[in-house]
Amino acid sequence: MHPLTARHVLWVCAGLAAVLLACVVLALKLGAVPISVTDLLINLGRVAIGRSDQLPSEYRLIVFDLRLPRIMLGILVGAALSVSGASFQALLRNPLADPFVLGVSSGAALGAILALIFAPQLPFVTLLGAFVGAMATIAAVYFLGRRGGELDSTTLLLGGVISASFLSAIIMFLMTTLAGRDLRGAVFWMMGDLSTPVPVDLQWIFMAGLLAGIGAIYSTSADLNLLLTGEREAIHLGVEATRVKLVVYVAASLLTALAVSASGQIGYVGLLVPHAVRRIFGSDYRILIPASAFCGAIAILLADTLARTVVAPTELPVGAMTAMAGAPVFIYLLRRGMR
Amino acid sequence: MRLKSIAIPAAETREKLRKRSGLSSAAGIVVMCILASVGTSLARATGAQDDAAANRPAMHAFTDETGRRVNVPAQVNRIVSLAPNLTEIVFALKQENHLAGDTDYCDYPPEAARKPHVGGPVNPNLEEIVKLRPDLILATSINRRETVAALDRLGLPVYITDPHSVDEMIASIERLGGVLGADKNAAALAGELRSRLADLGRRLAGAQPARAFFVVWTDPLISIGRGTFLEDALRHAGARSVVETSTEWPRVNLEEMLRLQPEFLVFVGEHTGQAREEIDALRSRPGWRDLDALRQGKVAIINEAIIRPVPRIVDAIEQLARSLHPQLFAARAGSGGISGPIAQEACSCIR
Amino acid sequence: MSPSDTSTHATGDRGASPNGARTERLNVEQASYAYSPEAQAAPTFTLAATSFQAHERELVAILGPNASGKSTLLRLISGTIAPLSGRVELDGEETSRLDVRTRAQRIAVVHQESPVVYPALAGDFVLQGRYPYGRALRFATKEDIEIAHNALAQVGADHLSGRTIGELSGGEKQRVILARALAQQPRLILLDEPTLHLDIGAQVELLERLRQLAQENRYAVVVVTHELALAAEFADQVVLLQHGRCLRVGTPAAVYQADLLEQVFEAPLDVEVGPAGRPRVNLRARRGEDAM
Repeated sequence: MHPLTARHVLWVCAGLAAVLLACVVLALKLGAVPISVTDLLINLGRVAIGRSDQLPSEYRLIVFDLRLPRIMLGILVGAALSVSGASFQALLRNPLADPFVLGVSSGAALGAILALIFAPQLPFVTLLGAFVGAMATIAAVYFLGRRGGELDSTTLLLGGVISASFLSAIIMFLMTTLAGRDLRGAVFWMMGDLSTPVPVDLQWIFMAGLLAGIGAIYSTSADLNLLLTGEREAIHLGVEATRVKLVVYVAASLLTALAVSASGQIGYVGLLVPHAVRRIFGSDYRILIPASAFCGAIAILLADTLARTVVAPTELPVGAMTAMAGAPVFIYLLRRGMR
Repeated sequence: MRLKSIAIPAAETREKLRKRSGLSSAAGIVVMCILASVGTSLARATGAQDDAAANRPAMHAFTDETGRRVNVPAQVNRIVSLAPNLTEIVFALKQENHLAGDTDYCDYPPEAARKPHVGGPVNPNLEEIVKLRPDLILATSINRRETVAALDRLGLPVYITDPHSVDEMIASIERLGGVLGADKNAAALAGELRSRLADLGRRLAGAQPARAFFVVWTDPLISIGRGTFLEDALRHAGARSVVETSTEWPRVNLEEMLRLQPEFLVFVGEHTGQAREEIDALRSRPGWRDLDALRQGKVAIINEAIIRPVPRIVDAIEQLARSLHPQLFAARAGSGGISGPIAQEACSCIR
Repeated sequence: MSPSDTSTHATGDRGASPNGARTERLNVEQASYAYSPEAQAAPTFTLAATSFQAHERELVAILGPNASGKSTLLRLISGTIAPLSGRVELDGEETSRLDVRTRAQRIAVVHQESPVVYPALAGDFVLQGRYPYGRALRFATKEDIEIAHNALAQVGADHLSGRTIGELSGGEKQRVILARALAQQPRLILLDEPTLHLDIGAQVELLERLRQLAQENRYAVVVVTHELALAAEFADQVVLLQHGRCLRVGTPAAVYQADLLEQVFEAPLDVEVGPAGRPRVNLRARRGEDAM
């Protein structure tokens, strides 16, 4: 009997962190403006020893003001989406669940559009509108998804699907009746885009929210293992199912809301990364959650680097990139008998 | 929460293991934390030292058309235009030598297409813009506010135009001339455009405005709304759009168009005959074939320039006016009443 | 997994007590329950006051046809619902008032058709039984692994620990599920129709094993079943339910009366007494009656 050990989880995390770092360097190097790895390392070194004033201004602008914030956003969004996808798959006991399954992205889109219509002068208007919209949807779906005071997987899923289509209908209505230049930002943002980094003022809140969400979900990973077996079973084994489901629901929704408000709907990552991670590292949530976080970050980082470079100078929305790469991978996993 | 239970003292036998599991729960987070803090501290450190350090030549402060204050060098040398109409205006002001880059869609005049491109107007590549080392970036209402915000953050000056009518467009050209240091050219151009519009206005003074339906798209049928730039252009050409709505690009029911029975259909088209083929196809389609305007051939195909707020729009307006009110132009045809390089070839009327 | 160490049994320190001195484990006293679709509506199903006791080393069968209230009684015993009146106590504590974790340390529940989708390996599955004893992320300790080993050994399944659940036969799967229950080191094991999907050989094997485990580890074992023959052969006590009412509690010999069982199960039955004093139930076809 060789059960999962903490040491094993640590080693996997360390390995994936190394891969992620390599991807970061690659993403810093690649782009419309070619930059050599040596130059990059020299300048990273300058920053590391606190001599960022010696940076050539073009480096400062392109590598540190453009690429790095975007890479950071990609890492955070990728981690958030993957962890939230893995959590929803356990919570709804449905392998096809993804972060957007409960209509959060539609809510976010509607929030962003309403904000653009009614308060276009607000700073970070899309981001704030999307976040408020996402949280409102989460609360609404939560109340729709309760049955006898408990969160019920099937009711929750149905509530989410209905909310999503209802909200999408409202979006369509607004788009056709109010179509105008003010909504262009929202439309573009809905395709999934990382080119607008989170404003500096909100960065720390954003990061704290993400880490709190991932941490909260990770703390329940042993419970999720049992909940997957079945709720009744889990309760008989000592899992406080009601509390765990609430924690996971709130945390996973928060992660999705943050990711969606910062970057729009980036599809497939939250669905696929957990499945790929299951194949490689097993389905124990104690390793699945951290490995998904890292792999999600890596996946989005690579997808966005491709989006920035394949048809440069034009940029593809990263959402289109993940969908293009994601759909075939998904079909492959499906054909290989995904459980 | 389970996180708390990590902190609760446990049985001594489990002490060691507990530490390890606590450690591992933090493992993933720690690495991300490090990456994250490095990232933000960098962004802060580098963002803090402003462009003030670089010693720049004299700057002029302007207020752009969205009310933002923009500091522009007294001598603008490297312009990046983020919209086809702005590119065209830069050329019209004869500042093309200072145009460092434009967008993928900047195709007029043809030389514009040979400038370095920075991507599309809605999703330009910020790196490409930075690489061109612009001292002024021109944007307009088709650009996303997120793009402008990102350029602001990089300390690059962005001047935004926002004209809503033909007159505002001409005023906008004058202001832009001031910003680019091309006041004389701008004044001459604006004067010419205004006098041509005034001529046209005098000529059309007595005429009843033609009831026109502007076809932006046929499938689905899309027209223009009230208070739009195109509606204003139609008004200058002696026409009135029959669609009454405040929506900018209204989707119109075919039944509604039949009920309105416009006198004229106005199509936007290239001078390749493609629009003409399309119109021929429409003549046999149910609904469309019952339109009096189509049956009587009262169809005007107008140059695409009309959908861009650029000086060429005056050519298109003149030509449209000629199509809609031929009787007012007949007497003086060929006498130079209509000017502009594209008027004759690009705009036509099927009668 | 080393199959050698089978001598220590799962309950470890509690050990065996002198024979004959049987302490009472479970006390169900006038417990009743009612389901209603809404708070104010009339109940759609009620379980009338039911009483019985289960001692350590004792195997109690809750017997009755479908919809007789067996599962409700099981839920009352497991503490997931609280009785409307009366009490359900395990070693003097009301089961519904125990917190989830403590309850899982004392009561193991084996459900019919346990949906085993995760984890893949039987050994990991048995380790789930250690959940109520672990902390935070519950990485298995050496002690946990040893207990899981022993639990598998006790059900004769130590060779299965490295196998994936999906490739096990019905009987093997049931043994692994039972091993998880043993790994919980409970005082009471509840089984809900455990024989439902087993062939007759595996059914007999399971019940023999349950009797043996109850003896060795001083469990009280409560089995919900509708298998008259099995309950007659293996139960120390039978609780007979019908339409939400407890009809009889007693030894199989006392409860198994042909007319009573015929009425409860709505089938013509013959009951005879076997050599060990246990009743035997034979199904009688209705053919003869039709001919009359």
